[in-house]
Amino acid sequence: MKGPPPRHDQPKEQFPPVEGVITDAADLEPGDRVVYPNQGVCRITGVERKEIAGQRLELVRMEREEDGAAVLVPMAKVSTIGLRKVATGEQMEGVFHYLAAQYDDPELDWKIRHRDNADRLIAGGVLGVAEVVKGLHALSRIRPLPTKEREQYDNSRHLLVHEVAVSLGVPPSLAEDYIDYALMPPVGVVFKLKPPPKPVELPVRPRRKVTRTTDEDDDLGLDELGIALPDGEAPGGAAASAGLPGLPSLGEELAPLDDLMGALPAIPGAEDMPAPELEDGEPAAAEDADDASDEDADDVEDDSDAEETASPAAVELPVSSRPAPRLVPEPARVKKKPAEPVKAQKLAAPAKAPAKKPAAKKPAAPAKPTAKAKAKPAAKKLARPAAKKPAPKAPARAPAKKPASKAVKPAAKKPAKGKKK
Amino acid sequence: MIRIVTLSPFDEVDIALLSRTLFQAFGLGTEHAGSRALPKDAQGEDGRYDAMKLLADIDPVKTYADDKVLYLTDAELSVRPGPLGEPPCWCYTEYGGEKAIVTTVRFPERGVTEASIEAWRKRLARETIHAVGHLWDLHHCYDARCAMHPSWSPGLPASPEAELCSFDREKSERRIRLAKT
Repeated sequence: MKGPPPRHDQPKEQFPPVEGVITDAADLEPGDRVVYPNQGVCRITGVERKEIAGQRLELVRMEREEDGAAVLVPMAKVSTIGLRKVATGEQMEGVFHYLAAQYDDPELDWKIRHRDNADRLIAGGVLGVAEVVKGLHALSRIRPLPTKEREQYDNSRHLLVHEVAVSLGVPPSLAEDYIDYALMPPVGVVFKLKPPPKPVELPVRPRRKVTRTTDEDDDLGLDELGIALPDGEAPGGAAASAGLPGLPSLGEELAPLDDLMGALPAIPGAEDMPAPELEDGEPAAAEDADDASDEDADDVEDDSDAEETASPAAVELPVSSRPAPRLVPEPARVKKKPAEPVKAQKLAAPAKAPAKKPAAKKPAAPAKPTAKAKAKPAAKKLARPAAKKPAPKAPARAPAKKPASKAVKPAAKKPAKGKKK
Repeated sequence: MIRIVTLSPFDEVDIALLSRTLFQAFGLGTEHAGSRALPKDAQGEDGRYDAMKLLADIDPVKTYADDKVLYLTDAELSVRPGPLGEPPCWCYTEYGGEKAIVTTVRFPERGVTEASIEAWRKRLARETIHAVGHLWDLHHCYDARCAMHPSWSPGLPASPEAELCSFDREKSERRIRLAKT
């Protein structure tokens, strides 16, 4: 099974440089106060040499001011982690003017918002942190934040409060009062604001497209289900079965079907066919129930993102259970054909012969327990036309002793009679 | 343990009710630990008391590890102005620390009617929960129904609830559980 490519193969996005970022470890001196993204204000305590996993490393030792936690960073990594100096008074003034300024509509797409906020916290400097606080605060006025964003809001507020406190030299509680005074000014208070600084530019991320190989799409798993298509009939659709020249290959033809998997329940003839793999996938993609409720529409819109965030379970399922959903339209196509008697017989023949239970159960065996449940109704569906079609022949051979409801049994016994002959 | 210290005369019934409210909010024992005088050095030229200086200069109260001391006063407090001006001071706390001070000067008039006294007590409970919340590392909350919402916010209802939102309640419980004692 081919999974998504490992993330470390992808090139790292280039963040625009932020003012005050430390690019050279030589700039650091013991006693300096720096801001470690997502960690807070740290004080440099010195440089250590340690042997880790057989490598002799030179490490910068820092102490987080908030709780005294030790942070060790290899000298070579200092330039890449976004370590920056504590914001200056001028920068901080800009932050407060930004906080007090009018805010545009917050980003409503939670995926974009969550990703952008994470980027801002890492590489946006103090203004990036302020943007996250202000953005989520503005959103909270529209609706309560979901759990994860509530935590993100609290974390970013915590980082901002401590950096403001260090930068302005005031206690954190007072720094928080300053921030909220700007965010939620009391009635009657109007600030004389300067134009706020330019917001942090985030890298433009192209949407990834997952390319499928033809090997994956060629194999529909029809053999495993005991279905043999007549010669010259491709499973690509009615046009393909007509054997028209110049048609695209099977893989190309079926590629759009994968995109339409979400719309499977709407395909006629599949009403009684549950599509549990989609139901299983949904909670994996969106962890919070809160998120899932209002972001279903986003899932449909943003296919590439859904594939990025899908859990391993959601990725594996379609491969093991791919044959079942794709077969759904097939019986519908076969049903339309009875107008041509020759082709109908051809299709019925292999199904009549041991179209059988063991063959139908085959794909279910390696699949997960959930997939088993899915495979059974699919097998039953396939067996039905086989059992129904020979029904008119059966009463001719055997007397009408047996009730019509047991029409499946004669179909199973037939091959045995044939053998005796 | 939360120890309430009064810096001005307060009704005993109010303090008893406040103790009960704080116990319900944080699950910590609360008691009235006596009265102290306001340090005169902390008073500024405008008659207001510098909140930071007041907390630093005030006579200490005997405490044990993780005890929180809550000072109550009816004097007006001031804080250092920030980049956009001086925020109104309802309370001042040592974030994640030990001491906090709450002033009742901005509260609605206590009055003599039962309703006005009840409203005053409710506001006192709300502001003390807010101050003690800061002592347990809680930040301000955007939810106007939460006691951690800024006290000057225009979104705050006239008679705000003296309760924490579920997020802050869980966070404070976690902090209290992880406390040294």
